[in-house]
Amino acid sequence: MKKLITSKWFIVLAVSLLLIAGIVLSFIPGSPLKAAVGLSSKAVSPAQAGVKKTGNAFSDFWAAIADGIAIREENKTLKQEIADLKYKLNQYEEAAIRYEELKGAFHIRDTFSNYDIYGATILSREADEWFSVIRINAGKNEGISLEQGQSYPVVDVEMNLVGRVIETEGSNSKVLPLLHEGFSVAGKVNEVNGASVIICGDSVLKKSGLCRVKGIEKGVKLVPGTVIVTSGEGGLFPDGIPIGTIVSVDYSNPVEVTATLKPFSVIGELEDVFVMIPYNADSKKEGTPGASETSAQGQGGQG
Amino acid sequence: MDRRRLIRKIVVYAVYILLLSSLQVSYPNRLGFWGQTADITFVFVVLTGYFHGFKDGVIVGLIMGLVRDCLAPIAIVGFDGKVHVSAGIGMLVLFLAGAVGSSFFTKRMHRNIPFAFVSIAFTTLLYKVSGHLMAYSWTVLAPAVGSYDLGFYEIVVRSCLLQTLLNLIAGIPLLLLLRFAGPVAMSEQKRSADDVIMVGEENSWLQI
Repeated sequence: MKKLITSKWFIVLAVSLLLIAGIVLSFIPGSPLKAAVGLSSKAVSPAQAGVKKTGNAFSDFWAAIADGIAIREENKTLKQEIADLKYKLNQYEEAAIRYEELKGAFHIRDTFSNYDIYGATILSREADEWFSVIRINAGKNEGISLEQGQSYPVVDVEMNLVGRVIETEGSNSKVLPLLHEGFSVAGKVNEVNGASVIICGDSVLKKSGLCRVKGIEKGVKLVPGTVIVTSGEGGLFPDGIPIGTIVSVDYSNPVEVTATLKPFSVIGELEDVFVMIPYNADSKKEGTPGASETSAQGQGGQG
Repeated sequence: MDRRRLIRKIVVYAVYILLLSSLQVSYPNRLGFWGQTADITFVFVVLTGYFHGFKDGVIVGLIMGLVRDCLAPIAIVGFDGKVHVSAGIGMLVLFLAGAVGSSFFTKRMHRNIPFAFVSIAFTTLLYKVSGHLMAYSWTVLAPAVGSYDLGFYEIVVRSCLLQTLLNLIAGIPLLLLLRFAGPVAMSEQKRSADDVIMVGEENSWLQI
C-alpha cells in the first residue's frame, strides 16, 4: 500500500483528479480554487506589470535609436500638418458651437451619451491557442463592478469593438475578446435598415484574426468591404459600435450563408482600451429604477 | 540537499516562473508565427522535469500553471451557452507536462541534451492532440458551444506541427538558461557515472 501511495504515477493520478475536480468547481461562484487563483493574482500581477514595463522600456529605447532619422523627417511633415490642422480646428470649434445650439433644438441624441467610458491598459493577452482571455488594469477599485450575468462592452481608442468584460476583480478585469470562440454579438450592416447578422468567434478563423458571420437572412447580399456595426439587439452592446468589414461570403450552402469578417481593432497591437458602462448599471448599485432591465438583458452571451 | 542549494533552487525557479509567465502573456505576438505562439512556460516545465526530475518538474509545473491561470485564464462556453472563466486548467496542463517531461526516457537516455528536444516535441504533440480531442469532445457534449470544425490541415500543420516547431526553437535558449543559470550550479551538474541515475537518482544532470 505504501509503495502504491509513494508511486510517481499514483501521485500524478491523484493530483490530476484533484485538479479536475477543482476545475469543475471553479465554474461555481465562490469556488475555493478560484479564490486561491484570485489571491495569487494579486501577488503575481505587480511582477508581471514590472516585467512588461521593463520590456516596453527596452523596446522603446531600441525603437528610439532605430527610428531617429525617420522621426526627424516625419517631424518636418508633421509640423506642416499641425499648421493645417490648427486652421481646421478653429473651423470645427465654430461648427461644434453651432451643433450644440442645434442639438437642443432638434433633440439630437449622442450615440454613446448615456455611457461612462473608463480607460484601461491591457495587462496580459492570450497565452495559448485555446480559449484564453485578456486582462486589463481596471476593476472594482476603478468602479467597474459586474453583477451576475452582466457584461460591459470594451472598445479601442477609435470606438471599435474589442470584446466584453466578463469578470472583474479588485484592480483588474477579464475581457472576452472578439476573436474568442465563445464570443457572440448581434450586428447589422452599417446603413439605414441594414440587414441583421450575428458575429461569432471561430477557432479556425481566429488564427487569421477573423470572425465568422452567421444568421444572414435569405436574400441579403453581403459583399466584401461591407461595414458591420453592433445592432443593439440583446441590450448588452449599444448600437452603432463599429465591428469590422466583410472579407468574404460563402454562398456554397444556400440554407446557411456565412461570411468572414475582419475586425477593425487588432487586439494584438492594442495597448489601451475603454470600458463602456451604461449609467443604468451604476444606478443599480444606488437602487434606482431601470437597472434591473439592464441586468436581465445582459444574461445571454450574445449582445 | 543542504540549505544553500535549496535556497538557490527556490530562488532560481521563482525568478524563472515569474519572468517566463510574464513574457508569455505580455508579448505573445513576438513569440509567435502564423497565428501560433511558442509556449515558453510549457517548454520550461518539460525541460525542468527532464533535467531535474519528477519532483522539480511537477512542482514547477503546478506553480507555473497557477501563475498562468492568474495572468491568462481560460474562458469556456458552458452547457448553458454562457462563457465561464475557469481556474486550474493551466495548473493541470503544466503539472502533467512536468510529469511527462520527467518520465520520457530520462533514465534510458541519461537525460542527454539532444534527447531533451525529442522530449519537448513529444510532450507538445501529446498536449496539442489531447487539446484538440478535448475541445472536440466538449462541442459534442455541449452543443451550445458550437461546432469545432477544424480541418486536417488546420490541426496537423497549423496547430500541432507549427506549435511543436516553435516550442523546439524556444527550447534552445531555455535549455541554455537551465544549463548555465539553472537551479543547480554548473560545478555540481557534472556526474560521470551513469549508474547514479540507474539506481533511481532523480535530481541529477548528466552529460552526453
